Amino acid sequence: MSRSSSVPSKALSRQVRGVDELRATLGVQWPAIKRAREAALRQRERLDEIIQPFLNTDTSFVVFGSLGRLEVTSGSDVDWSLLADGQADPRHFDIAAKVAEAIAEAKFKDPGQEATFGGLIFSHNLIHHIGGDNDDNSNTTRRLLLLLESAPVGQRDAYDRTVNSVLSRYVIEDFGLAHAGNRNNVPRFLHNDIVRYWRTMAVDFAYKRRARSGKGWALRTAKLRMSRKLIYVAGILMCYSCALDPEISVLKPEPNDPTIALRIVEHLKKFVDQTPLDIVAQIVGGFPELDDALRAVFCEYDRFIGILDDQQKREHLNKLAPEAVSGDATYGEIRQISDAFQEALLAIFIDNRGTQLAELTRTYGVF
Amino acid sequence: MRPVGFSTGAVALGSFSEGLKILAAKGVQSVELSALRFHELRPLVDALDHLDLSMFAYISFHAPSDFTADNESEVLMLLKRVAARGLSIVVHPDSIHNWSAWLDLGASVLLENMDKRKSTGRTCAELSKCFEQLPSARFCFDLGHARQVDPSLVEARRILEQFGSRMAQIHISEVSSGSTHERISWPAAVAFASLSKHIPRGIPVIVESVVHASQVTNEIERARSSLGEGEFPGVVGVLGAA
Repeated sequence: MSRSSSVPSKALSRQVRGVDELRATLGVQWPAIKRAREAALRQRERLDEIIQPFLNTDTSFVVFGSLGRLEVTSGSDVDWSLLADGQADPRHFDIAAKVAEAIAEAKFKDPGQEATFGGLIFSHNLIHHIGGDNDDNSNTTRRLLLLLESAPVGQRDAYDRTVNSVLSRYVIEDFGLAHAGNRNNVPRFLHNDIVRYWRTMAVDFAYKRRARSGKGWALRTAKLRMSRKLIYVAGILMCYSCALDPEISVLKPEPNDPTIALRIVEHLKKFVDQTPLDIVAQIVGGFPELDDALRAVFCEYDRFIGILDDQQKREHLNKLAPEAVSGDATYGEIRQISDAFQEALLAIFIDNRGTQLAELTRTYGVF
Repeated sequence: MRPVGFSTGAVALGSFSEGLKILAAKGVQSVELSALRFHELRPLVDALDHLDLSMFAYISFHAPSDFTADNESEVLMLLKRVAARGLSIVVHPDSIHNWSAWLDLGASVLLENMDKRKSTGRTCAELSKCFEQLPSARFCFDLGHARQVDPSLVEARRILEQFGSRMAQIHISEVSSGSTHERISWPAAVAFASLSKHIPRGIPVIVESVVHASQVTNEIERARSSLGEGEFPGVVGVLGAA
């Protein structure tokens, strides 16, 4: 119940399991999203065949970016890492090199310039370096993208272990959750890190404009305003879900019994295993009073994916200089789409439609 | 006090009679007769007719962990003799070839959760499929395996929630990254202790840590501490809450 109102906020009243079910519920097609998901699943199948011989229970091949989100378009690259979780083994480096070679031979597009992906990453850094000096930009990015837009291809043991361990740090070490009676069970430690990462992406956006002399700026702007924002939205919804799920919200974690906190970890892990769009569909789709806004979110996102899948428009955006955007038709289209996307998100999270989402945003989203 | 005992194979690899002698001399009252290797099975089953096991309050049996499909009927024939004595039989799910042939053993079978090298029986989802095949089987919860498969213990919690009511025995040891059974370290004990509240006190506990005879008593103390009973030897403070 809201602290300032005696009217109970509306809880989830409908079950929607993901994008496909939402499509049927709202009677909308979103063809670009559908194509992108199908293309991503085909790519993952191909990758599975290629990398299968290199993996064991200590290593997982993890995809991020559009492939992790199931949003593959014609210009998508393959953001991947070989995640090692087990005994240190000098051969891990050779395996990562072999995987890179096999992927290049299969003519997949290389990962991005910042080299966050396309190599070997170790679970220890992801699990142990949360906050503090050792949690540098790359580590933060890898850890948060692991939670927000990753998927294992093939053997997933190392992936599941690592995600569970990272999540358990956020939940079990959340002092307030176990000691202070956090009435909503929203994991603040995790929520704060997701918020921090969103702001980091926004700051890095300005850094990259300077470092790359504006090259690729318009395309990055489009991604920041749409796909980057989407993973942020899915991340905070994942945290809010602990308050929205009737079985999780009533749990009372105890300092001397981590099994209750582990139940919350297990709940969060189910969201890590979903795509950001599925998370939005599932959680926001649970509030029929938000259908108009949710429809707008998906329609605008579908238009955005459509532009990324249009080679001509994507290439145009990639080459468009910051000083040339004024009056540019494609950039104007992106602005219009992303403004409408933002308006729809504000309607979901901020506007007072009496749902628990607005209440949770007021409680956790500002201070 | 929890009933805590030892596997014969952990104190005397390949020699159940030597193992029993060591454990009896230490006053251990719970024992698991180990026939982990196929060739150990028949001699151990034949010996059951004349072995003096009167000093043990709890006795279970560990079936071979690896045998061929051709040998499965012989394994089953011998294990039925074990079951006829009322002993629980710990079975690795990945060792089974023909699941329906094991149905006759009913509740005598304790399916064990596996380490990460195995292809099945490691997680709650994989164990569910195994118990679907043997609906009357009970459960041997191997704490070391569960921690090795997922150090966060998310899987362990899920397994306890799902199969806790079937639990009939505990295996405890530290399981190395190479899947060998080692002595319980303090970090492992801390992890196990966090689950101890959810393990009923009456469930027999079998230690599988490979130890020298002189280390049996100390290892049992480590196991007790891991389950919330007493301090970890050499470290001040009780772990968890049983």
